[in-house]
Amino acid sequence: MKRFHIRMGDGSATELSESELKRDLEEGTRDAAERAKIPPLSQNELAYLFDVYSSPARFVGVDRGNEVIFSYDNGSAKSREDITEIPLHRVQEAQVYEKFLGADIADFGHIDYSFKPVKSIVTFEQQALEYALLVTTVPMFYGSQPNLGSYTQPDGPCPNPMELLPQGKIAEARAAQEEMMEHAVKDMVYVVSAMYESGADGFNFDTAGAAGDADFLATLRAVEILRKKYPQMAMMVGIAGEFILGMHGELTYDGVRVAGLYPHKQLELVEKAGATIFGPAINTNTDKSGAWNVARAVTFVKPCVENSHIPVHANMGMGLSGIPMADCPPVDAVSRASKAMVEITRLDGL
Amino acid sequence: MDKEEILKEARKAIIDADKAKAEELAKRAIAEGVDPLEMINKGFRAGITEVGDLFGRGELFLPELILSAEAMKGAADILTAALPKGTKKRRGKIVIGTAQGDIHDIGKSMVVSFLQANGLEVYDLGRDIETQKFIDKAQEVNADIIGMSALLTTTMSGQKALIQELKKAGLREKYKVMVGGAPATQRWADRIGADAYGIDAADAAKKAMELLGEG
Repeated sequence: MKRFHIRMGDGSATELSESELKRDLEEGTRDAAERAKIPPLSQNELAYLFDVYSSPARFVGVDRGNEVIFSYDNGSAKSREDITEIPLHRVQEAQVYEKFLGADIADFGHIDYSFKPVKSIVTFEQQALEYALLVTTVPMFYGSQPNLGSYTQPDGPCPNPMELLPQGKIAEARAAQEEMMEHAVKDMVYVVSAMYESGADGFNFDTAGAAGDADFLATLRAVEILRKKYPQMAMMVGIAGEFILGMHGELTYDGVRVAGLYPHKQLELVEKAGATIFGPAINTNTDKSGAWNVARAVTFVKPCVENSHIPVHANMGMGLSGIPMADCPPVDAVSRASKAMVEITRLDGL
Repeated sequence: MDKEEILKEARKAIIDADKAKAEELAKRAIAEGVDPLEMINKGFRAGITEVGDLFGRGELFLPELILSAEAMKGAADILTAALPKGTKKRRGKIVIGTAQGDIHDIGKSMVVSFLQANGLEVYDLGRDIETQKFIDKAQEVNADIIGMSALLTTTMSGQKALIQELKKAGLREKYKVMVGGAPATQRWADRIGADAYGIDAADAAKKAMELLGEG
């Protein structure tokens, strides 16, 4: 019986029979459809995915004419942080993304990559960004994470809701999150304004919602304020996970409870707040096959693209959207996930 | 109310986070001769498992999970007190924290909530914790399990270091070690010799119960 080489979500290799591969694809799309209450992939789309995953090619690519643009997050720190450990200066790294990796939008940021630490060194960041802009031509976004956790004690001013909640102090935990949001919105508006006025081509709010619904809502509020302040500014909002974790549970934006929102509903609020690019992020399950994960990720992202009025760039990094959770994700898995995402959802970028 | 109905109501009381109802049902179960352990496992624990599933699907949120856990604890305390002498089991103890250098504690704190919801005695060390402190605390409280969370690829090596330090101290067999966090995988857990890996908070609690022989 013929067996196909497939990566698991942790990057390890396995082999699946034809029926196992089909089963994984069907179960993956069904899981996403049930969770987000969206349609599963059609039989034609599943057949297409089967072709992608049963191909003996080492790596695959999109058909001519289906190319999409590449935007990046934390691009100016990855060579040092990740498996390559090449000690490049971040300006050089931005150039590598532009000149070697074909980035269409590069992202420049501080190694801490959070608004709170950047706030106090913003003038140094303005200078660094200006230099990067002088030696590149690619649109250069400045990027940071809302990272509401950085506002909790002992690193910040607010009581830690994640300590209060297990003690049953729910009202106190909610009040702390509301206070954290106030600080975060203020910092986001301050940092984004400074970097935009220094020439950034746009801003990347990366991993919005990482600390839960308050984190996501703070991002929406900041984007809304900045849209009014800078009507022409490009703003990308990349999400932390497939649904917004309810750490507070009662927060709303424009009358919609933000906790528990899946990508197609996140998109509606991100668009309403005034962002210009939406970046959905679907968690990779390391215990499941790449086929299962990608069928699932594509199912989540497809309704975003269908209903969006702004470009959608899916997060396709380590541990996201079917890309294995591995320091250096294998090219066979990355290329298959990317091809499937682009050619089924017809999104705008990765 | 027959036994099946009581078990069903117990499950519902936990999902509804109704502490008063859960405690009332616990008392009624004792009065009607339902086995307290069956009431905990098939009634209340079934409810908390469902709460975990709902949380994992974004249909229920952390504050509600905490209230469900409190309801579970209230009922379990009543039922445990009714267990015949000699059958009472000591509550499992777990020491938990995030690896040194890692300040990301949200996932770890969710695990804490799930462990508490399942009736474990949890010693939460917090975030950015030296490896030796995990061992010291486990020794101090006579823990069953040590759990370490890491969000970063740069800090997950602390999980490996924990196991190495336990081996050096001749304590590896004394404690079960659980690991978790975004970059951790079952493959990583196997490679470093951990006893269990939790893919998410609900799974971590399930694995902890299995390690304690209560899965």
